[in-house]
Amino acid sequence: MVTTESEQMAYIAAQAADARVNVEVETDEGMTLNLGPQHPATHGTLRIVAKLDGEKVVAAEPIMGYMHRGYEKLTEVRTYPQVTTLVNRIDWLGSFANEVPFILAAEQLMEVEAPPRAQWIRTVLFELSRIANISLFLGDMAVQVGATTPVFYAFRDREFVLNQIERVTGGRFHPNFDRIGGLKDDLPKGWIEETGTVIGKMRDFCDEMEELVLGNEIFQARTRGIGVIPPEVALSYGLSGANLRGSGVDWDIRRDANVGLVYDEVDWKVWTHPDGDSFSRFWVRLQETREACNIIEQLLGGIPAGPIMAKVPRIIKVPAGEAYVATENPLGEMGFYVVSQGDLTPFRVKIRSASFSNMSITPWLLKGVFVPDIISILASLYFILGDIDR
Amino acid sequence: MAEIPEHLLKRAQAAREKAAAQKKTEGEDSAQSEKAEPAEEPEVEVVLTDENAEAALAILETALQGKILDSHIAPGRGLWIRVAIEDWRSAAKAAKESLDCKFFDWLSAIDWMPSPYGREHETEQDKITAEPEEHDEKEMEWGYTGGETRFQLICRVYSISRKIGVMIKADLPDSDPRALSLIPIYAGANWHEREAREMFGLTFDEHPDLRNIYLPGDFEGHPLRKDYPLLSRRMKPWPGIVDVELLPGDDE
Amino acid sequence: MGLVESGKIPKPLTKLLNMSRRYSMWVYQWGLACCAIEMGAAFASPRYDVMRLGVIPLPASPRQADFLVVSGTVTDKMAPAVRRLWEQMPDPKYVISMGSCANCGGPYWDSYSVTKGVDQIIPVDVYVPGCPPRPEALLEGIVLLQERIMNEDMAERWKGDPIVVE
Repeated sequence: MVTTESEQMAYIAAQAADARVNVEVETDEGMTLNLGPQHPATHGTLRIVAKLDGEKVVAAEPIMGYMHRGYEKLTEVRTYPQVTTLVNRIDWLGSFANEVPFILAAEQLMEVEAPPRAQWIRTVLFELSRIANISLFLGDMAVQVGATTPVFYAFRDREFVLNQIERVTGGRFHPNFDRIGGLKDDLPKGWIEETGTVIGKMRDFCDEMEELVLGNEIFQARTRGIGVIPPEVALSYGLSGANLRGSGVDWDIRRDANVGLVYDEVDWKVWTHPDGDSFSRFWVRLQETREACNIIEQLLGGIPAGPIMAKVPRIIKVPAGEAYVATENPLGEMGFYVVSQGDLTPFRVKIRSASFSNMSITPWLLKGVFVPDIISILASLYFILGDIDR
Repeated sequence: MAEIPEHLLKRAQAAREKAAAQKKTEGEDSAQSEKAEPAEEPEVEVVLTDENAEAALAILETALQGKILDSHIAPGRGLWIRVAIEDWRSAAKAAKESLDCKFFDWLSAIDWMPSPYGREHETEQDKITAEPEEHDEKEMEWGYTGGETRFQLICRVYSISRKIGVMIKADLPDSDPRALSLIPIYAGANWHEREAREMFGLTFDEHPDLRNIYLPGDFEGHPLRKDYPLLSRRMKPWPGIVDVELLPGDDE
Repeated sequence: MGLVESGKIPKPLTKLLNMSRRYSMWVYQWGLACCAIEMGAAFASPRYDVMRLGVIPLPASPRQADFLVVSGTVTDKMAPAVRRLWEQMPDPKYVISMGSCANCGGPYWDSYSVTKGVDQIIPVDVYVPGCPPRPEALLEGIVLLQERIMNEDMAERWKGDPIVVE
């Protein structure tokens, strides 16, 4: 706290210097609107500086790094089992899904494969974290366009899924449950039946959201035809996940480039929407949540018996080599490029996180839209700050 | 609980039988040797993707006309090529045009210099007195497709129609690490190049604005360079590796 | 009132004032990372329902808030903004630091870009440990803060110098 005048002057000067560093968008004409770094619509600490001409956005520039924690450097000084603790926290809504690609990459390098039971349980938990993640999006998107109720429903029903994840892994958020070569523990007794009940509840939740949000006239007016991304542009910016499928590109890593998970064993469908607008991205995510329920229900009926852990040495040294494994995370493609030099720690880990690429389209996409559309477009792109900044 | 439909139960039964059969074959295999672990099915897959990668490599070779310095195919895991830094942009262009790699996955760099601080694992290394020269100098070792210099650019593009991802690598000169920007070919390269510049101190020519993307403007150094020390590790004692967790089924 | 400034508040009046402050607190939520979701679950979900403790979430601005919950990783880039918003809050103000990252840096203790604890920039009243803490843990932190407010001597608080953090 400042007390004297000179201290106050020094403080103001420091703050001004700070602001100069951060705002590099010129303000010669028109008005500059600053959203964030702490703004309800930015899901955390994203900051958007938009240059306006009346209500119209002339240029918009996201300023990131408020959540940059330096994962890629930290992985170089952590052992392989320690890395999963860190990478849990990248996309904090679907934590389990973050561990899987890293573990799979390490397993590829070590040439071990998890036993079938572990693969099935991994897939079930992967899809559960997808539901935990996207269900919050379904509520949150509605909040961003002006309806408050759906987010309460989302928080209420999401708890059931988190409970199931907690019962297996011991953590509501950051399970750290995956091990190189398998899983930490087996499923608890009675879990499969209870998860079946929860899946029923999540189905009802999807129906409820569809009735409550999708058909709503205001919702449609604020999302239809807003923020249209053509498929070519989406590909060249590296958009993935529902954002890409919302632009009509029929591509899903789970189906097309599946590694280590058992999606081939179940009947399911990849949903696409040809429009490419905010509405279609919401619609695709809604359908994907339903599809995740289908996948889990089918998997639950057939989890094979057997061990959950392959034989791996107690102290893990990964042989030299390079591997890239990507999985279809709730937010899109998340991949780990692991370079090993036969040591206890990775030599270099490049984390390809979905939101970083998904957000890189915003300067292009926000050009020429109106101010309220910024919010609905950002909400429909659906990013998580940890996933952007890493 | 919801009723499980008949066909699902059947499929579950089939899966269980399959798993049991696989377990059986695995047991027999391990009796013979450890190497022959993969069962028959994955082997077939490996051969298939191998062909896919080889075909993709052949296409790239004709498109780039001898500019590929080295290549590597990890069966079922992908295709790596290395080009000279002058051909960086033309290699990406060839991948996009001849191989239909429209999807820009990511771009980054690797610093191949061994860390002068060791692995920063041992407790004694975290003492403030520990000086870098105490560790024996290690030679640089490059990964797949080799390398010549300290910094290597790496970029992954993916072809949705062919279902193949290509890693393109290029060595950066030690004295002045700079490359041509890929933005004219892949618009998404913009942020990735900003990140690579900030983390490794590289320069990308023809990039419209190479500002810091993550760190505050007055941050000094390039964190992902191997000679960038994590100072907090030197100030606080690190207990070392104390916790080795018991694996399930691994009795004392 | 004049009584507060003069430093002579009768005990019953102190108790009354403290009790009314304790059960009508606007919380300014500073959601930064994973903990923000658990804080959201505590504040916005019907299961945990923070309002039964007399805490009202989502004020319009920090100038209306009574206490601040810093939940999540504070990075060096974010730290000036945290400080600036805390300065805008009217006195008496309190801070709850939620989660390991805000307490001490947490899993990023050796990172080059993370502030090792929000208490380096603003004074913290209650630390809630966990990574992330469960919503119940945050609720307990709020209860502890309320107890602290209840036992506070308002005159003491006003008479003294403002809290300075180096």
